[in-house]
Amino acid sequence: MRCDETTYFDFVCFSRKVLGKYPKAQATRRVYSRAVRMSTPARKRLMRDFKRLQQDPPAGISGAPQDNNIMLWNAVIFGPDDTPWDGGTFKLTLQFTEDYPNKPPTVRFVSRMFHPNIYADGSICLDILQNQWSPIYDVAAILTSIQSLLCDPNPNSPANSEAARMFSENKREYNRRVREIVEQSWTAD
Amino acid sequence: MQNKDGPRAGGDLEAATSNPTPDFDDWAKFGDDDIMQQQTAIRAEEAEKTPFVGDKEPLSSLAAEYQSGSPILLEKIKVLGEKYAAIRRTRGDGNCFFRSFMFSYLEHILESQDQAEVDRAKSNVEQCRKTLQSLGYADFTFEDFFALFLEQLESVLQGNGTSISQEELLLRSRDQSISDYVVMFFRFVTSGEIRKRSEFFEPFIMGLTNATVEQFCKSSVEPMGEESDHVHITALSDALGVPIRVVYLDRSSCDSAGVSVNHHDFIPAVGGLPNASVMVVVRICGCL
Repeated sequence: MRCDETTYFDFVCFSRKVLGKYPKAQATRRVYSRAVRMSTPARKRLMRDFKRLQQDPPAGISGAPQDNNIMLWNAVIFGPDDTPWDGGTFKLTLQFTEDYPNKPPTVRFVSRMFHPNIYADGSICLDILQNQWSPIYDVAAILTSIQSLLCDPNPNSPANSEAARMFSENKREYNRRVREIVEQSWTAD
Repeated sequence: MQNKDGPRAGGDLEAATSNPTPDFDDWAKFGDDDIMQQQTAIRAEEAEKTPFVGDKEPLSSLAAEYQSGSPILLEKIKVLGEKYAAIRRTRGDGNCFFRSFMFSYLEHILESQDQAEVDRAKSNVEQCRKTLQSLGYADFTFEDFFALFLEQLESVLQGNGTSISQEELLLRSRDQSISDYVVMFFRFVTSGEIRKRSEFFEPFIMGLTNATVEQFCKSSVEPMGEESDHVHITALSDALGVPIRVVYLDRSSCDSAGVSVNHHDFIPAVGGLPNASVMVVVRICGCL
């Protein structure tokens, strides 16, 4: 566990370097040391997830806990090359509970999406985030699965029926709508 | 140990009709979300009825349930009563086989204080760890589950600082944070064994689900709440080197020379506990 905590402190130090000039960072640091002291199994595991994501990041995804809360992560998925999603930068949040890794996090797109398996509120219909969840998945594996869902939707469980219908009936129009979403992802805050 | 896989089939049906199910005029609208909500409701109902591992009950309490049912079942329960003193029910949440096994095995160690068996089990667990590593699983995804199981195994042996009593074992088996971790440990071990010997398991898996070994492990072994079949039981028994007996309480009767209860023994391929200490899981068939 020692090395995980060291990595976590490295991250804290890194954050301090970046955020040092802001007074808020001082408060953030205090919260960090508290988070490390209160090491529940879920928190310990999340630190290891974070370490793995830093050391061996899969192509086209990135993620990190929010400043003061290891249970809430921000992530970005880049649209896979040579697909209509190419060039998109899609933001997500992952909310974990103390039941992690026995229960999956709640994952939600913050960026607007147009996809058969993504609801209007950004939540995602993906088996491994629901009844097929297993602790073998870490944050890297979750984000990679969502990334491959982008180009490989499951039209049998539509969360967005318009997108699902267009995907199977009018691929041209579907791709056009996806390109729109990609462009929006550059300008959205 | 009674495995509640069976009555769940009937129980589920009952639960499904007693739950407030939305009125679907169109089944096409009945999506994954609705199914999951219904599943959650059924599980919550089941959780109120039975703890993860129940108290000891005499077999007569089982017989009472089938008083108006098939006479063959009552005969069979009587036969079981000659051999087994009591049953414990386990919650029918899809993890019942693993949870029954957990309790039976740890209780067996607690009662026998068999240090040699614990040492043997530990070396098998080490082997399982290596199997998962060689299959490419990241250590941090499974090590907590391994550590927690080994801790339980240590604690049922008396004479070390952390020894526990029978009551404490029951409490731990009912404590979700411990019980689910041990169940998940068994799921990792089972999945590792199936993947390691995929050529052996492949035809059985094809027969069950028409899925590849990889798909089967991902969808029917590794997620919590997925029910166990003979493939899971064989793999777990082989991986840990622990024999398991499953007794089926079904309505079959084949001879006139009196009723006997069908059972199936899973004997590990190599070594393991002597046959004398087979773990017993009773399964009540769903066709009741």
